Amino acid sequence: MAVAPAEWSDRSKELSALLARSGLGDRQAFAALYERTSAHLFAVVLRINKDRAQAEDVLQEVYVNVWRAAQSFDAAQSQPLTWLTSVARNRAIDSLRRKQTEPQTQPAPFNDDEDKDVYDDVADDAPTPLEMLSRASDARALAQCMEALSAPQRQSVALAFYDGLSHAEVADQMRQPLGTVKSWVRRALLSLKACLDNAVLRDGRARGA
Amino acid sequence: MDYSRPELADRLGAEYVAGTLRGPARRRFESLLPGHPALRGAVQRWQDRLMPLTVTLAPVTPPARVWRRIEARLGLRPAEAPSQAWWARLAFWRVLSGIATAATLALAFIVASPPPAQAPIVVVLSAAAPADQPNAVTPASFVASISADGRAMVTRPLLPVSVQADRSLELWALPPSGAPRSLGVISASGSTVVRRGQVLQGTSALAVTLEPPGGSPSGAPTGPVLYVGKLSS
Repeated sequence: MAVAPAEWSDRSKELSALLARSGLGDRQAFAALYERTSAHLFAVVLRINKDRAQAEDVLQEVYVNVWRAAQSFDAAQSQPLTWLTSVARNRAIDSLRRKQTEPQTQPAPFNDDEDKDVYDDVADDAPTPLEMLSRASDARALAQCMEALSAPQRQSVALAFYDGLSHAEVADQMRQPLGTVKSWVRRALLSLKACLDNAVLRDGRARGA
Repeated sequence: MDYSRPELADRLGAEYVAGTLRGPARRRFESLLPGHPALRGAVQRWQDRLMPLTVTLAPVTPPARVWRRIEARLGLRPAEAPSQAWWARLAFWRVLSGIATAATLALAFIVASPPPAQAPIVVVLSAAAPADQPNAVTPASFVASISADGRAMVTRPLLPVSVQADRSLELWALPPSGAPRSLGVISASGSTVVRRGQVLQGTSALAVTLEPPGGSPSGAPTGPVLYVGKLSS
């Protein structure tokens, strides 16, 4: 689903330029990149590792990593926000395995979010993560494909993805056998893939591609 | 296991990106990534698919100390002075010992050596991946030698560089922040002498871009960056 740079949103182009300049050692660009993206990445990390002090450490590691790896960011291959979010998620998940205590889980969070409209415009001028994504239609298609899942499938995938829970932890949380949960997650991911691939095809046809 | 099998790569990539691949399996998978393009491709595609899920999370502004720690870790700004008495601070003793060492070295230098000849500064420019025009120029590197007084520079390709007849190579001085400064068009086949006042002043890197003949008409780079080299300070 790589998107040609010509189709990128201005926000996404801006992030790409900031990343490229950070790769050349530009401190001001790196500071601007942090300013634009840290609140989103902190939200991602904090949802997975709920210990605030640890989440701050993780965020610090993420940006230290980004500064060092900025030169290897390939705008032709990935979107800047996707790349940054992946780095943050991987670090956050890694921080869980070092934790001695059981992760504290909160009751099924996805249902709370269901009423929110993903594409609502936000009043203030700060770029929303949606605006920073190269194509808002990606998020829209994904939200629609999530809707199409069965409720337990959707909940199991949300607990795994948003909260960083393992299969066993999702099973605990949903009070279901491990095997059942594993198959929910797997089927949910396969359905999402098929649904998104269809959406891309429809999108392509709509543009006359 | 044959990791180039599409179904296997896809399943592992999905579990890795969704976060359900955990523990030793996750570490093993990460160690396989560099050597397996099929796995990297699957991960890339699943990241593109699933990362948009995170846009629904309400942003949480991290406390200011996180940025200060990042700056300190990367040496972007000197570490913040802790609230301790000055004599208890490590930094104070480090600086003091640094000054003492420098003074000793300076003295030894003055006593022991005649004024040294100033050596030129050499910057190696390596190929930057040209995303748009992979075939325009063969991958090669430039070397730029700058006279010690910073007033003149000689650029030379290390390998033959082929540039389309209707294109020029233009050299830029990149400041730590702000707009690049043109240092003029350089030759793809031989040495070019660049004389531009203080070449190095406020410059943190050099870059070569592909431009229309005679160089960028606007004074700002328009073409892809072909070569980049940092000045080590």
